[in-house]
Amino acid sequence: MLLLGTIAENLIRVGLLAALCAAFFYYRVHRGAANSVLRLARTSYHLATLLLICAAGSLLYLIVQHQFMYKYVWEYSSTTLSLPLLFSTFYAGQEGSFSLWALYTSIIGIFLMVYSSHREYEAEAMSVYSLILAFLLVMLVVKNPFELIWNAFPADLIKTGPIPPGVTNIVMLDAVKGLWAQYPAEGKGLNPLLQNYWMVIHPQILFTGFSAMAVPYTLAVAAMLKRDYSSWIRVATPWAVFGSMILGTGIIMGGYWAYETLGWGGFWGWDPVENSSLIPWLLCTASIHTALNQRKSGAFVRTNFVFSLLTFMMVLYSTFLTRSGVLGDTSVHSFVDPGMWVYWLLLGCIALFGSIGFGVFFLRLREMPKVKSQHTIFSREFALFLGAFALSFVALFVAVGTSSPLITSLLKGKASAIEVAYYVKTNLPLGIIICLLSGLGQLLWWKHSNTGSLLRSVATPVLLALGVTTMIYVLLGPEDLLILLFAFCAAFSLFANMQVGYGVFMGNPKFVGGSIAHIGIAVMCLGFVTSSRYDTKATLSLERGKPVDALGYRMTYIGYKQIDKERYAFNVEVEHGGVKKVVSPLMRFNTQENSTIRNPDLINFLNRDFYVAPVSVEEGGQDSQKSIKLMRGQSETVSNLKVQFDGFEFSEAQRAAMMQGKEFTIDAKLMVSDGNAKKHLDLKMKTGSKGAEYIPAGFIASDGKNYEFVINQMLPSQDDPSKSSVDIVIDLPADDTTAKREETLVIEASIKPMINLVWAGTITLVIGFLLTIARRVEEAKREGDKWSKET
Amino acid sequence: MKAKIIIGGVVVVLGIALAAMNFLESNVEYADFATAQKTHKKVQVKGEWVKEQSSSFDPSKVKFSFYMKDDAQRVVKVVLDGAKPNNFELATSVVAKGKFVDGEFQATEILTKCPSKYEGTSEAVKKTL
Repeated sequence: MLLLGTIAENLIRVGLLAALCAAFFYYRVHRGAANSVLRLARTSYHLATLLLICAAGSLLYLIVQHQFMYKYVWEYSSTTLSLPLLFSTFYAGQEGSFSLWALYTSIIGIFLMVYSSHREYEAEAMSVYSLILAFLLVMLVVKNPFELIWNAFPADLIKTGPIPPGVTNIVMLDAVKGLWAQYPAEGKGLNPLLQNYWMVIHPQILFTGFSAMAVPYTLAVAAMLKRDYSSWIRVATPWAVFGSMILGTGIIMGGYWAYETLGWGGFWGWDPVENSSLIPWLLCTASIHTALNQRKSGAFVRTNFVFSLLTFMMVLYSTFLTRSGVLGDTSVHSFVDPGMWVYWLLLGCIALFGSIGFGVFFLRLREMPKVKSQHTIFSREFALFLGAFALSFVALFVAVGTSSPLITSLLKGKASAIEVAYYVKTNLPLGIIICLLSGLGQLLWWKHSNTGSLLRSVATPVLLALGVTTMIYVLLGPEDLLILLFAFCAAFSLFANMQVGYGVFMGNPKFVGGSIAHIGIAVMCLGFVTSSRYDTKATLSLERGKPVDALGYRMTYIGYKQIDKERYAFNVEVEHGGVKKVVSPLMRFNTQENSTIRNPDLINFLNRDFYVAPVSVEEGGQDSQKSIKLMRGQSETVSNLKVQFDGFEFSEAQRAAMMQGKEFTIDAKLMVSDGNAKKHLDLKMKTGSKGAEYIPAGFIASDGKNYEFVINQMLPSQDDPSKSSVDIVIDLPADDTTAKREETLVIEASIKPMINLVWAGTITLVIGFLLTIARRVEEAKREGDKWSKET
Repeated sequence: MKAKIIIGGVVVVLGIALAAMNFLESNVEYADFATAQKTHKKVQVKGEWVKEQSSSFDPSKVKFSFYMKDDAQRVVKVVLDGAKPNNFELATSVVAKGKFVDGEFQATEILTKCPSKYEGTSEAVKKTL
């Protein structure tokens, strides 16, 4: 097993060499080298891919075999995980997720090679693409997943001298010097938050998307190298649509994961990790729209190059943000500092691919054809152009927000994150424009639409959208004007696309993808509004067996069930309209790390979700302590006692002592009564050289029970003594019956109206994408055939 | 054509200006308790949990309260809207986001920072031997 790691480590190094060779040989082919060099280039690329697959296979094998002598295996997996989760630990850490990214990039490259060879694009495209693969392999050489654990913790694990009897898991390092190392018998295990089936699917899809985002960049650079400024767009579009579809699916899946199991309360939290995949997606989607323009009119040549380049640059930048440790302390996610190497490598990579991409761009800028756009404002071209720009501005604003810790630390010297409200406020107007255009654009003609026909086609969708908006207003209630406008535009887009889609479908069903994708987006946007703007929430304490009415539901906590050593399911009976159902949110108590992990549960109705997130569970029995805060003159009942705060006493003598720097005391005066007995208590705070000391005072009630009072914190008011207050803690007697209560479950219950729209919209969107890919691949194939006939 | 570019330019510049304003407004600044008390603005305060003083969770109001010492060594009662955060016991430092109201700091969010990974793993590696 020691050997396997060493071999795999070297496979990656050789793979890196092979990828660099491929990049070089392909470049030679571009410069006109002979066919033999092309064969060499292909072999090199295949070799790099093969080696990477073997290395990844080795890592997976080591994980499945529980080889904890490898730091990565030890850090993220354990013997207790199920097989699918064990597989998923492959990409639970940085080293592994870079491996996954590299692996998918290399495999997609094989497809790209075949695809581009049919279109005379192989040499240039694969040269650039191999370079990208090489960068990812450099990352793996630096962040080696096969590091041995004793090299990471030499002080703890490497020992000298004779091996004591009974010690297992030993590797002899140097028999002559008597140097040996011990390695763990069990791994640290996968973060409990990630132990979920989504962990098996979601990262894989996301990384496929990330890998695919490199292709439009590659093809853009290749096209500029080849001085092909027009037909490249047909070659690249299927890839952009594919990338956008996969990454989009991955993003929404992540949202569903956050909503359904992680208990973030919603599907989107504008978290840096989420944003980092959203930014490239927005740009890629924008590029699909401007590409459409170029195919029609030949204009937007430069725009398309810039968008395709930027998409990949943003993949790199986002990776830099979330992986280099720059976000540091500003998010709930702990961004582990991976060390200076990764930081500089990622920065270097941004610089390298940025200068390659934009270097070639500026080199070719002057010779790019300038096609005068011949459209008016009332044309589909203009709508597409505006829509793409709105999308790229959303990307910009999200990128700025996510970079906030970087920006603020540059401006103010101290990093601070941004409030989530920023994203909503900044992007809402853009969202309105995008929704409007995604409907209007479909109704407009290419080049120019006449006002009469436009008005006629707009009428129905506008009326229907007004109907939907009114319905939202009446059924769900008033909202911000901008939110309602957003809902209106989304509904307009929905109906406009249905109208257009129907017409297209009657003409040629193959062309309906665009309309369907837009319908999906519109439905999703409506779902966003209803589920996150009209949700209602309540935090409730459910004492076992006692029903509580809230949000129109009757909830009763009926007890818990232990699932395994750490996990408990808390069953809450929910009654609504005569129907009873049970929800079982989970909590996982890790006693070793003293942490609690909470998983929500929900009931999915057709028109809403009833969502229950556990907050805490308070054991039954009784409190031994009670803490209260009292204003001067105020009283509160604790157990059987009435406790009143009469103010602080700070006598002249004590004041003088304080002035002289001597020991002094301040009293908090309480009046305590249990109905019969009444007593003044002076709680003292003594301040001396050792700091403040609080001296307790006791109260014996008429039934003989003993209560003890102590100051927790004094909050005197300098200007107005009547506003002074005090925080006190009362020790209750052991058999105090009034403090007794049943076990209590605290939950946050919420209702999310029409959240199914979000999921339905997603599925529709993916179908639309698939149809579009099919159409564009066919088109690209025709283009390819044309070329092969010509040559 | 020219008019289109000018109008477009104005819209873009206005949009960016609005976004920039929004950005500055939405940034929650770091402060200590003294400035938080003076300004009454929403800020974030970094400090540590004073474990010696009592902390409690009130299930009826769903508020978790504890005492926190900021970097200027001032101890203030912090009342969090919610339950005790994950990993609170382990945290070496705590960042509370919120406002100062009536002598206590009312936090809407608490971020906990756990000991650096390396120190943590060195302990962990011994445990799993």
